[in-house]
Amino acid sequence: MRTIGADIVLQVLEEEGVDAIFGYPGANTLPLNDRLAGSRIRHYLMRHEQAAAHAADGYARITGKTGVCLATSGPGATNLVTGIATAYMDSTPLVAITAQVNSDLWGRDAFQETDIIGVTMPITKHSFMVRDPNQLASSLRRAFHLARSGRPGPVLLDIPRDILGPLSDVKPQELPNGQSIPRKEGEAIVRIAEALNRSERPVILLGGGVKLGEACELATAFVEKTGIPFVSTMMGIGTITSGNDFDLGFIGTHGNQLANSIIHQSDFILALGSRFTERSTSVISKFAPLALVAQIDIDPTSIGKNIKADFQWVGDIKEALAALAGLVIPRDRPQWAARINEERAQATNKGGNDGCGEAGTLIRKIQTALPKDAIVVPDVGLNQIWTVRSWQCHTPRSLITTGGMGTMGFSLPAAIGVKIGAPEREVISISGDGGFLMNIQELATISSYCLPVKIVVLNNGHLGMIRQMQDLFFESRFTTCALGGEVDLVAIAGGFGIPAERIPVHGDPEAAIARMKETKGPYLVEAVIEQDAYVYPIIPPGKSNVEMISGK
Amino acid sequence: MAVQEHIISLLVNNQPGVLSRIAGVFSSKGYNIRSLCVAETTNPDVSRITLTSRADRDFTDKIKKQLDRLVDIISVTDLTDVPSVKRELMIIGLRIKEENRREILRAIDLFACKVVAMDADYLILEITANTDKTAAILRFFEPFGVEEMNRTGAIAVFRQPPGR
Repeated sequence: MRTIGADIVLQVLEEEGVDAIFGYPGANTLPLNDRLAGSRIRHYLMRHEQAAAHAADGYARITGKTGVCLATSGPGATNLVTGIATAYMDSTPLVAITAQVNSDLWGRDAFQETDIIGVTMPITKHSFMVRDPNQLASSLRRAFHLARSGRPGPVLLDIPRDILGPLSDVKPQELPNGQSIPRKEGEAIVRIAEALNRSERPVILLGGGVKLGEACELATAFVEKTGIPFVSTMMGIGTITSGNDFDLGFIGTHGNQLANSIIHQSDFILALGSRFTERSTSVISKFAPLALVAQIDIDPTSIGKNIKADFQWVGDIKEALAALAGLVIPRDRPQWAARINEERAQATNKGGNDGCGEAGTLIRKIQTALPKDAIVVPDVGLNQIWTVRSWQCHTPRSLITTGGMGTMGFSLPAAIGVKIGAPEREVISISGDGGFLMNIQELATISSYCLPVKIVVLNNGHLGMIRQMQDLFFESRFTTCALGGEVDLVAIAGGFGIPAERIPVHGDPEAAIARMKETKGPYLVEAVIEQDAYVYPIIPPGKSNVEMISGK
Repeated sequence: MAVQEHIISLLVNNQPGVLSRIAGVFSSKGYNIRSLCVAETTNPDVSRITLTSRADRDFTDKIKKQLDRLVDIISVTDLTDVPSVKRELMIIGLRIKEENRREILRAIDLFACKVVAMDADYLILEITANTDKTAAILRFFEPFGVEEMNRTGAIAVFRQPPGR
C-alpha cells in the first residue's frame, strides 16, 4: 500500500507514544480513519467531539502523557472548542487534530469549512495548519513538543484532506527546536529561602502546577522537612496526601474556613504553580494583606498576573524545591503552630469543614467501599464542591476536575479518558443532573466499549449552585434553575444498556453502592437529594476570604 | 499608576496569522494599539512590527511575557525608555488661502517639511519626524485648514548597535 499523509500522522503518533486517541469522523478525516485499521493506536469513537476533547483531557490528566483528539472540519472542529478551552485553563497537554477541507477549496466557504485556527487562537498555546506535505511530520512533532514544554497546554493542528491523502516525494524531517526553556535564576531562590527563613507565619500554597510538574513527592518531602503548613487551590488538592498533619485544606470561594483564615493571617506565602485566580483569592486587595508573596512557576505570564509577587522564580518546580530544600532552615514557630492548632480545633468542634450534608456522606461512603486508589471525576456545580471537600486523595492523581474553566458536562467524557488511561483503577464519575444531561450521549460510548466506569448522578431536579446563589444573593427569586423531576435517569441508563438504580431521597445508599461495586461493567446510581441541600460555608461575591458565611 | 505611551518593537516569523495573534494578546488584556507598522526585515522570513500603546507601567512586563509565549515571536523589545531613534512619516493636504500663504510657506521652511504636490490653493506636505514633532506640526497647520492627514505611526531603532 502506498504511503499517504495519514500514515505519516499515525507513524508520528506512535513515535510520540500515543496508544489511544478520541475522535469522531467526518468526510475530511476519512483517509486517517481508513489507515487506523492497520495501526497500533486505538481510536475511541465518542458520540460528540466535545466529549472527544474532554476524554483526551482526562486521559492526559491521569497518565501524564499528551492527550490526542481528532475531529473533522467545520462543526466537528468547532465542537472541540469547549474541550480545548477546558484543557487550556487547567494546562493539560493536548494535541487536537482537525481535518480541513482540501487545500484548493480553502478560503472559499466550502462545505464544512471553518477557520478553526482563528477560532482557537485565544484558547490554545499554538494552532497551525499544515500547508506542505513535507512539513506534516515535523509539524506534528512540533505540536507534541509545544503541548508538553514549559507550561503545558493544548495545541491544534489543522490538516487539509489532500495532505492526509496520497503524497508525492515526501522527505523525512527532523525535529525542530521549540520554545526555549525559561532561564533559572539562582540568586532569586536564595532570596526566597532567606525571606521564608525570616518569616514567623509562613504558609505554602500548592497550585495545580505542582502535579503538572511531577513535583508531588518533592513537595511532600519539603513540607515534612520544614514543618511549614500548606493550603492548596482546588487544582492543587491531592498534591500531598489528604490528611497530612500540615494540611489546612483548600482556599477560595468554596474552600475550607481554616485554610482561608490561616493564609489571611500569614506573613509569607510560598506559592508553587498557582496563578492566584479570583476563585482562590476572592477580592485580591483584601487577600492575605500581611503576607510577602514568593511565586514559583514555569510560566512567566502567571507570575504577577493577579497578585504582586514580592519574590519570583521562573522555572521547573522540581528544581526550585530541590534548591529550597537545601536552603530553608527547619525551625519551630510555636506561636504560629498554636494559632493554627487553636483554629483547627475550633473547626473540628463545629463539625469540621464538612458543610456537605447527605451528599458528602454519600460520597464518603462510596469512597470507603472502593479501593484506595480509586479516581473520582466530579462535574461542575454543587457536586464538584461536595466531592472535592469529601474525597480523600491518597495519590496525586485521584481527583480529576475542571478548576479553571468549570465546564459542565466534563465528568462523563473525562471519566472515559481516565478509565482508558488507568484501566486497572476504579473510576467514578459524579455529576449533578444538569451537567450529566450535557454530555449524556457518552453513555453510548461507555456502553459500546463496556467501560467499567461507575456513574453517580446527584439529582436535585435543579441547577443546585445557581439555586443556592439565587437563594443567597437574589432574595430567593428562583428563575431558570429548575430542571424538573420528570426525567427518568434509571430508564435512560437502561436504554443505553447500562444497569442503574435510584436511591430515594434520604435513602440508605449502602446496598446501591455495594451493587455498583460488584457489577463488572458500568453502573449508574441516581441519588435523589433535596433541592435546598447547599454547600457551606461560602464566600459571597465581593467579600474577602475571611468573610465566609455558613447560612442565609 | 502613570499612564504613558509605550513603543514596542517585535521580530516575528513572517507568516499568516502572526499579526492576528499579537493583536489578540493586546485585546484580550484590554490594551488598545495606537499605531502599528509592519515590514519585512533584511531576512524575508522575519518581519519587524513596531507598535505603540498607551498604558501603565505594568504594561511592558505583562504584555512582553504574553507576547514571549507566542510561538512565532522571535523577540520583544520595549524602546520607550532606552536611547533610540524614533520616526514617523506624516502626509498633510493643506488648503491655502491668500492671507495665509506667507505664514504657511515660512512654516514649511522652518519645520523642514517637504512639498510633494502643489496647486494654487492646495498643497501636500511630507513630514518625517519623531511623533511629538509630527503632532506639533499638525497642531500648527490645523487652523489653516488641513483637508487630509495620514501618518504611519512610529518606527524605531536603537541608538547604539543592539547588544553594546
